Amino acid sequence: MDNKMFVVAKREFLERVRSKWFVWITLLVPVLLATAFLVPTYIAMRSNASSAVRHITIIDATGAGLGDRIAKALMADSSLGLATGDTVAPRVKVVATSDVAAQEKAATADVQQPNHIAGYLVLNDSALTGKSARYAGRNASSISDMDKLTGIVRQEVMMLRLEREGVRKDIIGDLATTKLRLNSERLSEHGRSGSGTAGLAAGIAVGVMLFMSIIFHGQNILRGVLEEKSTRVAEVVISSVKPETLLAGKVLGVGAVGLTQQVAWLGISYYLINFLGPIITKGMSSGSAPAAMGGGAFSSMSLAVIGVALVYFVIGFVFYATLYAAAGSMVNSEQEAQQAAVPVMLLLMSTWLLVNPVIANPNSTLSVVLSWLPWSSPIIMPMRMGLTSVSPLTVVGSIVVAILGSIGAMLLSARIYRVGMLMYGKKPSFAEVVKWIRYA
Amino acid sequence: MSDLAIDIRNVVKRYEEHVAVRDLSLQVPTGSVYGLLGPNGAGKTTTIRMILDIIAPDAGTISLFGQPHTTIGVLDRVGYLPEERGLYKKMQVRRVLLFLAELKGVKPAEATRRIDEWLERFSLTTADKDWGDAKVDELSRGMQQKVQFIATLLHDPDLVILDEPFSGLDPINAQALKDAVLELKQRGKTVIFSTHVMDNAEKMCDSVCIISGGVKVLDGRVTDVKRAVGVRHVALAVAGDVQNGVGDVLRDRALVTKMEGNTNYFELELAPNADSQTLLRRLIDAGASIQRFELVQPSLHQIFLQRVGATGIETGMSGHG
Repeated sequence: MDNKMFVVAKREFLERVRSKWFVWITLLVPVLLATAFLVPTYIAMRSNASSAVRHITIIDATGAGLGDRIAKALMADSSLGLATGDTVAPRVKVVATSDVAAQEKAATADVQQPNHIAGYLVLNDSALTGKSARYAGRNASSISDMDKLTGIVRQEVMMLRLEREGVRKDIIGDLATTKLRLNSERLSEHGRSGSGTAGLAAGIAVGVMLFMSIIFHGQNILRGVLEEKSTRVAEVVISSVKPETLLAGKVLGVGAVGLTQQVAWLGISYYLINFLGPIITKGMSSGSAPAAMGGGAFSSMSLAVIGVALVYFVIGFVFYATLYAAAGSMVNSEQEAQQAAVPVMLLLMSTWLLVNPVIANPNSTLSVVLSWLPWSSPIIMPMRMGLTSVSPLTVVGSIVVAILGSIGAMLLSARIYRVGMLMYGKKPSFAEVVKWIRYA
Repeated sequence: MSDLAIDIRNVVKRYEEHVAVRDLSLQVPTGSVYGLLGPNGAGKTTTIRMILDIIAPDAGTISLFGQPHTTIGVLDRVGYLPEERGLYKKMQVRRVLLFLAELKGVKPAEATRRIDEWLERFSLTTADKDWGDAKVDELSRGMQQKVQFIATLLHDPDLVILDEPFSGLDPINAQALKDAVLELKQRGKTVIFSTHVMDNAEKMCDSVCIISGGVKVLDGRVTDVKRAVGVRHVALAVAGDVQNGVGDVLRDRALVTKMEGNTNYFELELAPNADSQTLLRRLIDAGASIQRFELVQPSLHQIFLQRVGATGIETGMSGHG
């Protein structure tokens, strides 16, 4: 009997793994996932101030050498652009206050020529007192360029004034190089675990994979059952095995496919993010936040969380797969199947729609309730484990509840399946399905 | 081992609105070819599904080879060709066959060997094309039928159940199927098939059971069935036109209940209490020039019409009410 279940499982597994679809989905999802991590990183990198900030004329009417200081600071800033061999330096013109208008006119003409300087910066007494400076240029609407320029002008004005007040030079140098980084770490009653952002990313990644896998393979089972029914091969198969054995073998086989895929997804994503990530983001200033998040997401995911996620995957999969199989056995066509699967989809989608509130507040009542309900806990609990601390006892308790829920779903589905597989004709009403369940 | 391949006792199957099978008992001797005959909706498929434990009877017992049919392993000795044919369309022929054989407990290596044998035997592997490696839906309908038949026999079953095996078969494949059934019989296997085509049943079956409206109308060896029904049929040929007097005799309901034929040749069914010799005398008296007057054994077809027409339809209708 059990042997026959494995024969069924073997067929389900091999036929699915051999299909082109399986290969494509298995390869594409991690690529998409890695892209989701790496593209923001790349965009963030691109949105750093550009080297255009350097290609400017500084009209310095302060008479205090502020223009030279700013030019030096701009050249020293390593975050400006990728080209370290960029030798285009700002042109500094030290002028008298009365001459500013004429210089400005000349600089405007320069800026308007193609492939010339990006803009000009006007420094006067107002700048020296720390009130205002003026900039005009093609990149004036680039927030990052203007932020960079403002920062440097501010810092140089501050240092110039400190120097005038007689502060020692070495102290000023020290102040100028102060670049404080805030390193955050998640702390809970169970100890330290990775950085906050990494936990968030890992939790979401696990949730997404479970959700996608359940939807994909659940629909797969639905279609498989429908195919067996509509091609009438079901009758031959059921003359050799009990419907319950067939159902169990099916869920086992497709579940094995899902598990194989999960492992492949995790492995490939891990590789892409950790090994290809640095290549893509090469040249970025070290410690850039998005890169740390992407890379850290998987490395910070402890083996325990991965293990628990896989356990939940198996339980959640059995729960949804058997229900999908029951839905498939009730109907005779693809359209009807989608209708019959609506209640199952509702369970799954309602969970998915509540993922955001859970991420926002993983310790809210809603989050706790969702991590106990058998149809939502397989997705929510691994996420919460990534986001916050969950006591081991809670995890075990929720797993037990989920297992009981899955057994319930199996018993219910087996009854529907048993009758449904041999029932042709019109789609049964809800009342009729209830009758099947009670009758079988 | 029991000498009964199938022993069904007092089986009842009720559905929501009607009774599909009521108090059916039948015995199929080992090594026989058994016909399960009946009009559409008579309960043939329901009976077959109950034998295969696809559906459970509400009452009664079913034994296969002397053991309850729910005994583990017993159904592995049964091969089943359902009325509605079907295979996994997207699977390779060899893989489908291997799967179905393994479900019946055949070891993969042994199954693979037998598959090659069968494919060759049914000309599905030839020098220039091996259909075994093709997907099922690349095969023609006829080829798919063959594959399905191979699947039925691959595990060398002792009991083969064929539900309406001739439906959808062209004459060549139908003949191949008849040959295959006779070969199974020669090898001591038991074959039971359902049909409503009486000609096939008459030529192939040792025993038959006619059911209608879920009730057994009659059963037994074909020769016994015919003898029990009795010789009530007359083949009559007369020379020249049928005179009025002769026509009156033939239309006499006390003598003839049914008459088929043209101007010179008739097949008559005698009225229940009529005597063939009386009929002959009356015809001669009426002036008929008789060329042929022969008492013939009824065909299964005639028996079927007679018995199902008399009792079956009525119960069938009330059964479905």
